[in-house]
Amino acid sequence: MKYCILLAVITGVAGLEAATPAPSPDKKEELGKLLFFDPILSKNYKISCATCHKPRFAFADSAALSKGVKGKKGTRNTPTAMNIALSKTFFWDGRSSTLEQQALEPIQNPDEMNLSIEEAVQRLSKHERYNQYFKKIFGSGPTKENLAIAIASFERILETSDSPFDKWKFSDDPKAVSDAVKRGFAVFNTKGKCVKCHFGADFTAQEFRNVGLFNGRTLNDSGRARITNDPKDVGRFKTSSLRNIAITAPYMHNGMFHSLDEVIEFYNDTKKIVPDAINKDSLLVEPLGLTKQEKKDLKAFLNSLTDKRFKK
Amino acid sequence: MKLLSFAAVTLLIFTSENTLVGKWSGKPSEKGNVTSVNFKADNTLEGFVNKKPFVSGTYNFNPVDSTIFFIDNGCNGVSAVYKILFYSNSDSMRFQVISDACEERKQGMQRLVMGKVK
Repeated sequence: MKYCILLAVITGVAGLEAATPAPSPDKKEELGKLLFFDPILSKNYKISCATCHKPRFAFADSAALSKGVKGKKGTRNTPTAMNIALSKTFFWDGRSSTLEQQALEPIQNPDEMNLSIEEAVQRLSKHERYNQYFKKIFGSGPTKENLAIAIASFERILETSDSPFDKWKFSDDPKAVSDAVKRGFAVFNTKGKCVKCHFGADFTAQEFRNVGLFNGRTLNDSGRARITNDPKDVGRFKTSSLRNIAITAPYMHNGMFHSLDEVIEFYNDTKKIVPDAINKDSLLVEPLGLTKQEKKDLKAFLNSLTDKRFKK
Repeated sequence: MKLLSFAAVTLLIFTSENTLVGKWSGKPSEKGNVTSVNFKADNTLEGFVNKKPFVSGTYNFNPVDSTIFFIDNGCNGVSAVYKILFYSNSDSMRFQVISDACEERKQGMQRLVMGKVK
C-alpha cells in the first residue's frame, strides 16, 4: 500500500513538471531563446534551431553537414551562432546583411526546417502561450518581423569573452595562459599570417577569402560568387571567428577538416592538400614553413580561445 | 634657475607619461559596443571591444607635444601618428590624426573619445 502511494506521488509530481510551462519571457531575447529551442518552427515539429546549433559545441554542430527535416544533409557546415553581434554579414556566403534576415532563412529552407514563415507565424498565433508572449513583449501577436527580432535578439546575447586568452589580455594576467600559448599568439601574428584574416575581437576581419578549397571539381562550391556573380569571389567564404574554435570541429565551409591539427597542416602548405585550387588568396600561395613546435604552439593558442563556460 | 627648469621639464615628462599609462574606455556606441585601450608602462598597448581583445601593439608617447606613434597587429604593420588631446583634468582624451595610411583604423580612432578607468 505504502509503495502504491509513493508511486502515485512520484507519478503525480512528474506529470505536474511535464505540464508546467517555462516561465513567461519578459524580454525579446528570452522569447527568442524559447523559439530557438522549439521544434514548432519546423515542418515536422522535430527540428529546432538548436538541433544544428548545439549549445555544447558553442552553438555549432559536430557533424560536417547537418540533417534537415527530410533527413537530407545540408551543403555547408553549420557555423557557430555565438559571437555574431559584431558581424556585418551572415552565412558562409554573406547573403544576409542582418541577423534578422539570417534568423528566418533556416526556417524556410527546404533542406533545413522546411516551414514557410507564413505557416510559422500561423502556428505561433494559434499557440496560446506564444500568442500571449508576443503581445506582452511586442504589443502585437506574432508577425514575420517580430519573430525575426526575437530570435536575432537571443543570438546577439550569445557572446563569450572569458577565455584564458581574454584573461591574459583584458585582466593583464600573464599566468592565465602557458608560454606555449604566448608563443602561439606570436606565430599567429607573424610567421603564420593568421592575423591577416583572423583579426578582430572575434578573430575574424569579416572578409571573404579563398583559402584554396575550390578547384571546380571535387570542391565546387563557389561561395560568395554565387551571391555577387563576381568572378573575383569564386571560392571565397566568410572568414570564421576563432572564438571557441577548439570545440566547433569539423572545420571549413564543408566540414572537411576534423581537427585543428588538420587545419594547421592545411594552412602550412595548402598545395599538399588541394594541389589544383583555383583563385586562391595570394597570402596562401607559398608554404608557411612552420616547425613542429610552432604548429604545437599555434594549436595551444587556439585552444586558449575556449570560453571557461565550456571547460569540463 | 637652470635647475628649476630642468626639474619642471622632468616633472612634465613624468606626469604626462603617467597620464597616458593605464586603462581608458569609451562610452557605448550606437550599437552598444564599448571600446577600451590599455596603455602599459612597458610601451605595449592592448585594445578591446566589449572586453574582447582585438588589437595588440607597441607605442611611443611624446609627452612634450602629446603625440603618439604606434604599430599594431592589424593594418598590415602600417604605423600611425596621432596627437592626443587631453581634457577634463586629463581624465578624458581623444585622438587627432597626424598620419595614418590605414583608413579603417583612422575612421575608428577619430570617433574615439575615452575616459580614464579608475
